[in-house]
Amino acid sequence: MDLLHNNPMLQGVRQMMHAYAKSTIRPIAAQHDQEESMPWELMKSASMMGMSQTALLDTNKGALGQAGAGEVSDDKPKTMGRLQIVAAEELAWGCAGISLALAGSGLACTPVARMGTEEQKAHFREAMKGVDDKGHVKVAAMALSEPSTGSDISGLATSARKDGDHYVLNGHKQWITNGQSAAVYVVWAQTDATLGRAGVRGFLVTRDLVGLVPGRKEVKLGIRASETAQVHFEDCRVHESMMLGHKQPSAGLGDTKKMLDSTRPVVGIQAVGIARAAYEFLLERIRGWELHGTPMAGHQHIAFQLAEMEMEIEASRHLCHRAAWMADHRLENVKMASMAKAHAARTAEMVTSKAMAMLGEEALQAGHPVEKWYRDAKIFDIFEGTGQIQRRIIAKQATGLNAT
Amino acid sequence: MNFAMTEEQALLTATLRRFTEKELRTWAPEADRQAQAPEQLFSKGGDLGLFVDAVPEDQGGLLDGRFEHLSRALRGLELGRGCAALASLLECNVEPALAIARWGSPALQSELFALMAEGALIATAHDSEGRLRIEASERVQVSGSLSAIPAGAKASHLLLLTDELVALVPASAARIEAVETSGWRAGAWASWSFDDHSLPAEHILARGPAAREAREQILSWANISLAARALGVATAAIEYATAYAQERHQFGQAIADFESIIRLRDKNETAIRAARLLVLEAASLADRDDPTAVDHASRARDLAGDIVTRATIDAVQIYGGYGFVNDYPVEKLMRDARAFEVLHGNAAFQRVLMRRQGDN
Repeated sequence: MDLLHNNPMLQGVRQMMHAYAKSTIRPIAAQHDQEESMPWELMKSASMMGMSQTALLDTNKGALGQAGAGEVSDDKPKTMGRLQIVAAEELAWGCAGISLALAGSGLACTPVARMGTEEQKAHFREAMKGVDDKGHVKVAAMALSEPSTGSDISGLATSARKDGDHYVLNGHKQWITNGQSAAVYVVWAQTDATLGRAGVRGFLVTRDLVGLVPGRKEVKLGIRASETAQVHFEDCRVHESMMLGHKQPSAGLGDTKKMLDSTRPVVGIQAVGIARAAYEFLLERIRGWELHGTPMAGHQHIAFQLAEMEMEIEASRHLCHRAAWMADHRLENVKMASMAKAHAARTAEMVTSKAMAMLGEEALQAGHPVEKWYRDAKIFDIFEGTGQIQRRIIAKQATGLNAT
Repeated sequence: MNFAMTEEQALLTATLRRFTEKELRTWAPEADRQAQAPEQLFSKGGDLGLFVDAVPEDQGGLLDGRFEHLSRALRGLELGRGCAALASLLECNVEPALAIARWGSPALQSELFALMAEGALIATAHDSEGRLRIEASERVQVSGSLSAIPAGAKASHLLLLTDELVALVPASAARIEAVETSGWRAGAWASWSFDDHSLPAEHILARGPAAREAREQILSWANISLAARALGVATAAIEYATAYAQERHQFGQAIADFESIIRLRDKNETAIRAARLLVLEAASLADRDDPTAVDHASRARDLAGDIVTRATIDAVQIYGGYGFVNDYPVEKLMRDARAFEVLHGNAAFQRVLMRRQGDN
């Protein structure tokens, strides 16, 4: 298992992404956090640099933010999972909110890339071309979660009723990344409640369709450069040709769940990026800090907390890399991916929390980098499967039982 | 030993609980968004006897006899349940009033008590990191800057605590700039900067070793109140999370019935109850002038700071995505939690340094 050493490609990607995060993301992070605004300018330049929102439709390799598990058929191990891990840590080190804004469309691209027909991919690509009426680059949204459907994704209430050669969508979606601004939505809805999970299908819904109503944007604790909004469907008519995999029996939520599993190492490493950012800030501050003439780092009380942070960051990073390495080698990684995500989320919480306490009053000020990272970190123990869900998965792998 | 409240304490708790639930919790979300306390806070808080409760009765205040830290701790438990920022404003005059009464000259007492009786607020700041330069030749001069002082933007004076000096500094002596904070947003935070300000002798409460002793006393009063309010915030977090967990259903049951959630809430409740006993004991010791009160008070704030951080993070966790958005009350609590452990200096680190010096 190689982490970074003896892999020049991964090292190169890390250096490039770090430079980008440092020079381009960091300088605007506080502003977008405080203003709760999407980094549209950055997204435009990123898209021109080739960090295209729809690249994976062409390559089928998985977008930034997606560690595709076991997709290729040849025997050669992939490096895609690890590449994404390396890049995602650096981008999140720059700003977790901005890194999610950059990766947000990838969430919607993945199911289209996996399950979409050529016609659907072309439709998606067309919708993502150019800029919107505000001059912003186009973004896409994956609309799965609902007000009462969070951890338990089996009880979707949004319905898709067949009417001639159309489906009529009704329901409310919540926690939708890019939910207010997206040019195209991948909407998950129940086509036949009697089928349960097997009745759930994905639909491509472009913004111009009547009955798609982008809702209110949420005011969030953290990751505020990434837009989260409600989306409503009121008798929204979608042509049946826009149902993902419409000529095949439904893969239901199975594929969606697999997709969520595959994002966990990436989400984990983003939390590592936040933790590392806070740790580095603290270390730098402590190096030049004296208290009544004694260097701060000379106090065990301070030094041992730094040691604790370093240990947990390193352990979390190893778990994430291990989970991605397993995916790249087409090894079953469900447990490792959950461990990586859960451990990294806790690490980010612990490091940012302790760093705030150690910095004292300065870190109480709004927009202080460490205060921001503390707010950004919390969501990592909630989205893409809460810490509780991860522990359920890990324990089930060990015991075979679903614990309640 | 009797753990029961007196009739008076039970009445106080009930009154403040109503105030918290009816007023503070109503004002809190908007006060947080606007970073501004509502005007009614001052009139209604005044009606409850706050702001001048530590000012002697014969000087325009309400204090008849000894100030009771135990009652104040019980009050803090309730006010903290309402809003940390608004509670900090309601409580800010206590330390200055007690300090002025104990160490101030009669002239200073009559000047400042008269101001407080007219509604003035006085902030308190501890220069725990040694940021200020104090020069004491024939006159005492202060220079340097303190970065974030709650109530500092509304205060007429600052009760300044340093290694060398305990003094009252008028707002006119400092450059005051409002500071926007992440938590306690309505707490009227400000930075105060001094350029070789000469302190008039009558504004100095104590110098040298006497200053260090006075500072220790004053911080112990603050520690008791901060600990109580922190536990109030923690209590609110777990109350909200408990109610939410009973409403929220996933996998066919209320999430309150999952064992992991039961344990998460329970651990926090146990911690809050234990810390409540510690802070009440510290307050009771302070009321009896017991020399161990200082140590108890510092332990109480150290513990309560940890507990409120943990409880508010766990409350957000129980709320899930809803915990992360401003429409629900717990993300504010998570931001509000953080001032308690660092205000006037990091509680844990202070304890380590104190014990290392063999002060204890």
